[in-house]
Amino acid sequence: MMLEIKSVSKSFPGVQALRNVSFGVQQGEVHALVGENGAGKSTLMKILSGVYTDYQGQLTLNNHNLTLQNPRDAQRHGIAIIHQELNLIPELTITENIFLGRELYTRLRTLDLRRMDQAAAKLLTQLNLNIAPNRSIRSLRVGEQQLVEVAKALSLKAQLLILDEPTSALSETEIEHLFQVISALKQQGVTMIYISHKLDEIYRIADRVTVLRDGEYIGTTPIDQISVQELIRKMVGRNLNDLFPKEKVTPGEVVLQVENLSLQSDTRESGYALKDISFSVKRGEIVGVTGLMGAGRTELLETLFGIHSPRRVEGKITIAGKTQVIASPQQALKAGLAFVTEDRKNQSLIVQHSVGHNMTLAAMKRFLLFNFIQSPLEKEAIQEMTQKLHIKTTGYHVPVDTLSGGNQQKVVIAKCLLTQPEVLLLDEPTRGIDVGAKAEIYTLISQLAKEGTAIIMVSSELPEILAMCDRVIVLCEGRMTGTFDRSDVSQEMIMEAATARQRVRVEETELEN
Amino acid sequence: MSVQDTTTREIPPLSKRIGSIWKYLMRFQSYFGLIAILIIAALLSPVRDGRNIFLDPRNMLNVVRFASENGIIAIGMTLVILTGGIDLSVGAVLALCAVGAAAFMMHYGFGTVATVVCVLAIGAAAGLTNGFVSTKFKIQSFITTLAMLSIARGIATLWAGGYAIPLAFGDGPDLAPPSFKALFAGEVAILGLDIPVQVFYFIGIGIIATILLKRTGFGRYIYAVGGNDTAARLSGVNVNRVRVIVFGICGLLSALAALLHAALVNQGSPIDGSGYELNAIAAVVIGGTSLMGGVGTVVGTMIGAVILSILDNILGLLNIESEYQAILKGVIIVLAVVIQQRRRY
Repeated sequence: MMLEIKSVSKSFPGVQALRNVSFGVQQGEVHALVGENGAGKSTLMKILSGVYTDYQGQLTLNNHNLTLQNPRDAQRHGIAIIHQELNLIPELTITENIFLGRELYTRLRTLDLRRMDQAAAKLLTQLNLNIAPNRSIRSLRVGEQQLVEVAKALSLKAQLLILDEPTSALSETEIEHLFQVISALKQQGVTMIYISHKLDEIYRIADRVTVLRDGEYIGTTPIDQISVQELIRKMVGRNLNDLFPKEKVTPGEVVLQVENLSLQSDTRESGYALKDISFSVKRGEIVGVTGLMGAGRTELLETLFGIHSPRRVEGKITIAGKTQVIASPQQALKAGLAFVTEDRKNQSLIVQHSVGHNMTLAAMKRFLLFNFIQSPLEKEAIQEMTQKLHIKTTGYHVPVDTLSGGNQQKVVIAKCLLTQPEVLLLDEPTRGIDVGAKAEIYTLISQLAKEGTAIIMVSSELPEILAMCDRVIVLCEGRMTGTFDRSDVSQEMIMEAATARQRVRVEETELEN
Repeated sequence: MSVQDTTTREIPPLSKRIGSIWKYLMRFQSYFGLIAILIIAALLSPVRDGRNIFLDPRNMLNVVRFASENGIIAIGMTLVILTGGIDLSVGAVLALCAVGAAAFMMHYGFGTVATVVCVLAIGAAAGLTNGFVSTKFKIQSFITTLAMLSIARGIATLWAGGYAIPLAFGDGPDLAPPSFKALFAGEVAILGLDIPVQVFYFIGIGIIATILLKRTGFGRYIYAVGGNDTAARLSGVNVNRVRVIVFGICGLLSALAALLHAALVNQGSPIDGSGYELNAIAAVVIGGTSLMGGVGTVVGTMIGAVILSILDNILGLLNIESEYQAILKGVIIVLAVVIQQRRRY
């Protein structure tokens, strides 16, 4: 074994992220690591790359004990990680990024730009990437940026390369390119840990696969000895029906009607981040929105919620029969929308403030009499929500960041519900939540729909979309490339619509000609 | 109810208990700081005729009187810092308002009421300008208020003609109304003690600000904006409006401090209030308010202002030069921030 992970545990306040995980990675293999959101994959990778140092258990690399004090230590041991969010400095050039912190110098102690550029160019050629090393990162496409990260890892003489969801932002051709690079690296003897949600990718490139669930080690198998169904069952750990308690609801009248909604791209780029989106949502209906990363899923919810400058927005939004001009979140809330954002900590919660204060912030006006807070009313509402959503907290006054991810998410949902919305917008509502809490969130969503709330749910997890939604809208490059009814939709149909961008492009060029 | 179903508590190990005692001390750092400095000051105080000069009631009243002016400014500063901003212009706005007060009464023959209204309006206008420029053009308040510092002092100097405008109180032309002096620098006899009026303004403003922060929707919004402005905005809070109003209040309180200052020193000078921004920020920080915004109290700031005043007072009683006071103040500010950051983890 090249790398051995022995009984590694790690906990955060309120969550046991890893529980006694042990497995080994063999020299020269591509080792896939799978599991749902919150399974502990990222935590484990952060331990391997020296970000988290306070864990229990032991790591060995080539039979030597491995204790990492910081990410630099990991680099020194030949471990490089390529994060989902890239760690490049957009203003600097490719060369500058590759050599950041370990610049080469001439004898006069000035930067040896020529030598660095040459080395960078050599690395880029090795990756089959035909770009000048003095270009700035900002000017590159996401796929190219990712390969720059790989180049950087190679320049560090990495013997273990960790790829964390590397394809989530890539187009098909870019993915192809990346896979070629991965096989080439494997030939050169580089060991890789490959984390992905996309099982088809794993079957293409991995040698063995390890499954984590709820922070626990479930098993490691050669990829050719396990079927997709079995793999999914291991990841989810239960039948999909138990996880997704979707109740049948007969939809009521149309609450939200969106016609030709477009959002112009910001800054220098011309064109549209969203173009001509039209759909409607009925009372009690759950409409799923999915697509690849960068397809415009989040932008759609943000545009509905008035987050983007009204100058960039075109189209017509009707809520409960009234045409609405939504130029700010304030107006969106007034119009009857509520938004559970993808990024809980940065966009939805004030983490150092109390559970109670977070819950009532958006609906503050309900509790005011001449601008004075009527504490009994507020407290009553907080108690009611805590009970209704089964929020586990030691009190209303404790800071919300002492709660587990699932309970934090419930606080966000409670905040939205207190505004008594007509339409609830959910962006990746189960991201970073453990499986048990996920099921609770699904139950809650289902219950809200039953009570007559119209729900739009953005998700990148297809099982979630397929199980929970009455209808599915698929976006690709800001266009609607498919709408499907619950009754006749499959994962394949969604994936096809989500990757229809080439088709879109061909049509556009045809139109232009 | 799910709130009660916490897991059974075990007795934590000793190290953890010491940790939690330390945490408790940190949480109320300003209170313990106040008690500590009171004891130290009393011990160090010179004794004359068998009486501890520091603990003499008249000296204690002086301490609070001098805490009041800075304290009022610092309360405004607290609101601004709670929203995640900072106001460096408070001292300069005070100078402008003090010069204005003197000019209105001595040169334009304004009465007390007209003077007070105009001066408060000037302070509020300066503050609102700070807020408006910062939010409208998305400039950090550090820069906006630094510019206002320069502008306000410039206007004050021009208005005063380069010199202080002395206040002579009395009835008649070219004299300031005595009611002004009584209103802002008088004393009220309670239980045989002549309490300086400044103290009432200080405590009164403190109570109003506390009610504003803890009991009103606007107060909740102030904390929310400073805690996480994106989350606040997505929760329907008009973030810019909150910021502008808070700067307006800060300017208004600087103007009130200017009235107290002018009445006390009998003049309005364009060099009044230099370095006051530092004193105000020091009081806020010692009081435990986070410079990141979103966390803090007015009571803490008031205690911070009293602590600083005690420091000035005892060092004065000990005949230590003001240069040393300045150095010590700087050290204390850094210590307070260090303690605060420790507290968060």
